[in-house]
Amino acid sequence: MELIDLLIKIALIIVIFVISLVVAMYSTYAERKIAAFFQDRVGPNRAGPWGILQPLADGGKMFLKEEIIPTNATGFLFIVGPSLAILTACIGSAVIPWGQNLEIGGRVIPLQVTDINVGILYIFGVVSLGVYGIMIGGWASNNKYSLLGAIRAASQNISYEISMGLSIIALLMVTGTLSLGEIAKQQHGFWADGYFSWNVFKQPLGFLLFIVCAFAETNRSPFDLPECETELVGGYHTEYSSMKLGFYLFAEYINMFISSAVMATLYFGGYNFPFMDLIHSPNLVAILGVVALFIKIFMFIFFFMWVRWTLPRFRYDQLMDLGWKTLIPLAIANIVLTGIFMTFFK
Amino acid sequence: MIKVFFYLMAFITLASALVVAAGKNLVRSLFMFFVTLFGLAGLYVLALADFVAVTQIVIYVGGILVLILFAFMLSGKEALNKVSVQADGFISLKNAPALLLAGLFLVIMFNVVFKAQADNLPWVQAAISNQNIMPVNGTGINHIGVNLMTRYLLPFEVISILLMLALVGAAHLSRKPKEDEV
Repeated sequence: MELIDLLIKIALIIVIFVISLVVAMYSTYAERKIAAFFQDRVGPNRAGPWGILQPLADGGKMFLKEEIIPTNATGFLFIVGPSLAILTACIGSAVIPWGQNLEIGGRVIPLQVTDINVGILYIFGVVSLGVYGIMIGGWASNNKYSLLGAIRAASQNISYEISMGLSIIALLMVTGTLSLGEIAKQQHGFWADGYFSWNVFKQPLGFLLFIVCAFAETNRSPFDLPECETELVGGYHTEYSSMKLGFYLFAEYINMFISSAVMATLYFGGYNFPFMDLIHSPNLVAILGVVALFIKIFMFIFFFMWVRWTLPRFRYDQLMDLGWKTLIPLAIANIVLTGIFMTFFK
Repeated sequence: MIKVFFYLMAFITLASALVVAAGKNLVRSLFMFFVTLFGLAGLYVLALADFVAVTQIVIYVGGILVLILFAFMLSGKEALNKVSVQADGFISLKNAPALLLAGLFLVIMFNVVFKAQADNLPWVQAAISNQNIMPVNGTGINHIGVNLMTRYLLPFEVISILLMLALVGAAHLSRKPKEDEV
């Protein structure tokens, strides 16, 4: 690889990293504003105009607060927990195609860090690693509420991973590839061969299953049982303070951003937008594609928040029932139906 | 460059595996096993087996290791300490059968490695002469899928039956005893 290619890759990685952090930062602000809107309040409005400096103030507060490590906690693992949580949240962005190739001065710049041919499996692996931060942190705190939260998180993640995997299998049958770049390419435009080209129209049930599982995997309400404050004080992060707590909260927002990006790429056409063939400049299409992808991502993030402030939390046995007795049979039925459809109608 | 990566990965894998086997602290062994699995996944990637690498992470790290951690969390700290006290010394009389087995296995492995001469294996030579090799960017997933469903269908099904036996066994073990059996 040429040196300049390497530099471009590094620059791309840094840009994506910064963007995911900034989006996560402003998701906290958006969450508070949206919650305020849903509850007929004003929301944060003191730091800066309309309160837009609030995330910075929160960050500063988190960094400057006293750091407490409980005496009976397992010191090393207590620190590893939040670090792993934020690490696994960040590495998912490596395989997401953010846009079509840019062409600057005869050099083709792909807007995707790496298009590995097992992209979906990679995402799936990152998701399955996500539970480690919570489990290790909850176990190392040496506190029964933390431990209960960690156990809840682990069993919830394992249960919903199964139906998530099964819903992806039906999608893979349609697309025939594991590479996210290829899947995004297949959904070109909006209308192709007399039917919608986005996968959500080919896999509506699969998408529904996937988004429910995404809520469970990111520990968002109505599935935020691991941090259920009415039963578990604070859940797995009860003993955490200062920026270590901040990392846990931040990891949740990054997870939300990444899973929104994955959903947009897998089911909602990724960087494709309607009538993109009418624009003839490839660079303009690429840039508009990035904008389109981000609009889709923000809509998904809004949907996450909308659900959080609308639906009450599940009970734990209801959560398990939904996962094992409803979603898994539905996902298997979806695979069978997809198979039948592909055999007889294509 | 690739050689450096290979030796680095191999060293990490072996060193952490040694800690897993010899360490007295169960929790530390568990987290070292985490490192071992990642080292192995790295070795698979270097062997162009991306699919195996990612699958290993999903199944072993994301599934089996989480379940082991689960068992740790649900058992008290005293029970864990008792286990770590029992394990006295890596090489001792109590471990003699295990040592014997491991030693014999090592001898067999060395024998195979030295006799086989990996560079001159007939099927490797045949594959190279037939141009039946995988490019760096190639994907082996299609071949894996097709071969699993055709050539290796019987072993595939046998494994699935084995897994079902394990499932039935687990369901039986976790079943509540009937009223009259208590």
